[in-house]
Amino acid sequence: MNKRQSRTFAIVATGLAAVAFLGLTLHSHTRFGELTNAQDLTPEVIQGKEVWHKYNCINCHTLFGEGAYYAPDLTKITQHRSAAYLKAYMRDPSNFYDEQRHRRLMPTQDLSDKEIDDLIQFLDWVANVDNQGWPPRPILVAGATLAVAAQVGEPDAVGSAAVTPVRPDNDPRALGEHLFRTVTPGCTACHSLQPGVRLAGPSMAGMTTRAEQMFAGGAYTGGASDLEGYIRESIVAPSAHLVAGEMFSAGGTSFMPTTYADTLSEEQIDQLVAYIASLK
Amino acid sequence: MRYKSQAVAYWYFAVAMVLFGLQIVFGLLSAAKYLGPDPLLYILPFDVTKVIHTNLLIVWVLTGFMGATYWLVPEESRTELHSVKLAYWQLILWTLMGVTAVIGYLFRYGTGNKLLEQPLPHKIVIVVVMLMFLYNIGMTIKKAGRLTTTEGVLILGLALSAVLYLPALLHYENYTISIFYRWWTIHLWVEGVWMMIMAGFLAYLLVRLSGVDREVMEKWLYVIVGLVFVAGILGTAHHYYWVGVPQYWLPIGGFFSALEPLALAAMAIYAYAAMRRSGLGHPNTLALHWTIGSAIFALFGAGLLGLAHTWPGVNKWTHGTLITAMHGHSAFYGAYAMIVMAMITYALPGLTHRRAGEDSSLGFWAFWLQVGGMFGMTLSFATAGIGQVYLERIMGMGYLDAQLKIQVHFLMLLATATVFTAGVMLFIYDFFRHRPNFQPDALVELAPGVAPLRDPV
Repeated sequence: MNKRQSRTFAIVATGLAAVAFLGLTLHSHTRFGELTNAQDLTPEVIQGKEVWHKYNCINCHTLFGEGAYYAPDLTKITQHRSAAYLKAYMRDPSNFYDEQRHRRLMPTQDLSDKEIDDLIQFLDWVANVDNQGWPPRPILVAGATLAVAAQVGEPDAVGSAAVTPVRPDNDPRALGEHLFRTVTPGCTACHSLQPGVRLAGPSMAGMTTRAEQMFAGGAYTGGASDLEGYIRESIVAPSAHLVAGEMFSAGGTSFMPTTYADTLSEEQIDQLVAYIASLK
Repeated sequence: MRYKSQAVAYWYFAVAMVLFGLQIVFGLLSAAKYLGPDPLLYILPFDVTKVIHTNLLIVWVLTGFMGATYWLVPEESRTELHSVKLAYWQLILWTLMGVTAVIGYLFRYGTGNKLLEQPLPHKIVIVVVMLMFLYNIGMTIKKAGRLTTTEGVLILGLALSAVLYLPALLHYENYTISIFYRWWTIHLWVEGVWMMIMAGFLAYLLVRLSGVDREVMEKWLYVIVGLVFVAGILGTAHHYYWVGVPQYWLPIGGFFSALEPLALAAMAIYAYAAMRRSGLGHPNTLALHWTIGSAIFALFGAGLLGLAHTWPGVNKWTHGTLITAMHGHSAFYGAYAMIVMAMITYALPGLTHRRAGEDSSLGFWAFWLQVGGMFGMTLSFATAGIGQVYLERIMGMGYLDAQLKIQVHFLMLLATATVFTAGVMLFIYDFFRHRPNFQPDALVELAPGVAPLRDPV
């Protein structure tokens, strides 16, 4: 190959690559609207993006896995935390995490209420973008979880010897455990199963014992009359009875998402109740 | 130096050195915050130190590119620069832009778009400076009527860098589309046109330092440029993983970015072969170390460590973890920081009261401490990143708890970063310890056996 030929190679190769790239870019533009739910880009969402930029969030956090690696990824955060929780968190993160324990803490940002609302709208838009199924497993902010039990026939079933798959005819408690790990927003993102491991919500370990003590002691403020009723009420109407703690509720409203009554079927709620009631 | 106007390069290099030093200070601060708790939480939080760290990198490397170009163009085109005055005004404007941007970041005055955080007025100044620069270089070459291939590749790389900065001026309401075009600037810079710049400097240095045949070098330079763009342009797709674009970008990204190491391997082989063929004839062996070092470290950091996590099936798990920091640090250092230091080390004997090869033990300490330190930092990020991927992404442990488990790697990061910093400080000290000397060379000053005055063409 002489110099002229090598120059031709450089020019032709670059030209072909550039043409292919531009063609794909044009095609991508025809798909962006549908993949990113462009119809949901409300003025609040767009304002929320400006808030995200204004407070330099990306130089600690990641969004779609892009950014800095000093703070958790927030791509799906609105599927792990309710808007009420995120609002309270944004007002003062130190109520939720201990810098001595985790060696890191988010500084309070002094956002206005409007900015916080817009930011949450933006993050919720992000959480619903069709981004090729990433992350493959939920990225949690804190705590530990166990491997997800795979449902038989699930296309993305995670094969592991330690995981027992479930079938529709299994015991309701087994089905409930599977739901506990797989519903959206995920229960495991906020509730640990280990004693003393407090994530965004109370640990589920020993919850039946505590609930029985609570009934006996008269501290209960909700409308249920037995344990199963209380668990069901906590799932569908989380604010009926509040567990004490600044990181669990504010102004009489629980931080737990209020969407389960709509997104879960009666049968699924029964299964979840059966599972949680089994946690002594 | 042969042409009086090459002296402008010295001041560009001097500014680059100061900014490099500052970049490392902010890097060390950011690394220390991983150990926490952070006493500066409300004075200099991580987001501020990190944005300054990455922006200073871009500014100092570009300052180095511009200085090195002002050094190279008169020699290649055999003429004085079109306007020395314009070159100095350009440097003043550029430095003011850089310094005010950094001060602004201290108060969170920025646009929060990763790596393109510069506020709009600063972005406009950047474009103006680029135009001043390209005009000055263009007029110099026009005046001389002589454009070498090496120079042509370099100038085209610089001009395309300016063009590719333009998407950064646009504003998109859709975050996914804004990510899409952000990479037109960042990716096509670092894995496209900056590689052209690097390859241009590399060819220049190899011709000068090893005396290999220019025709052969320039032929391979074209091949390298072709390989860079074949892989680099479509390789942009590896930044389009998981951000809300069509599915086909995944296999395209996997395939073409797997080809990206080819150009880097070609550069490393080219550098090594040039050195072997000619023997180490030039007295500036330190510059040769930086040159060959850059080619090899770029192959390792940009090529192999990029390849390590570029396949979609792997990236699905590693995306957005410290694995990316591992690749980012070693790639930028090997490809861009080292090539600028190679150009500085090569040019410095011509710009100061020192001779090539004379009294360079400090320079060698700087080289080895930096290379060793950066290798250690890369390993620290790698081990931390692997731990993070397994604990957080695969086992499902929460982010904050996983970070606690990998603290020991952050200690290692800080230790190796300290070694690296020592190397950087030595390099900066070595740069400034000789007084500048802007008298054009007389023939008698040359060391025996070397003929930088006799152009190898």
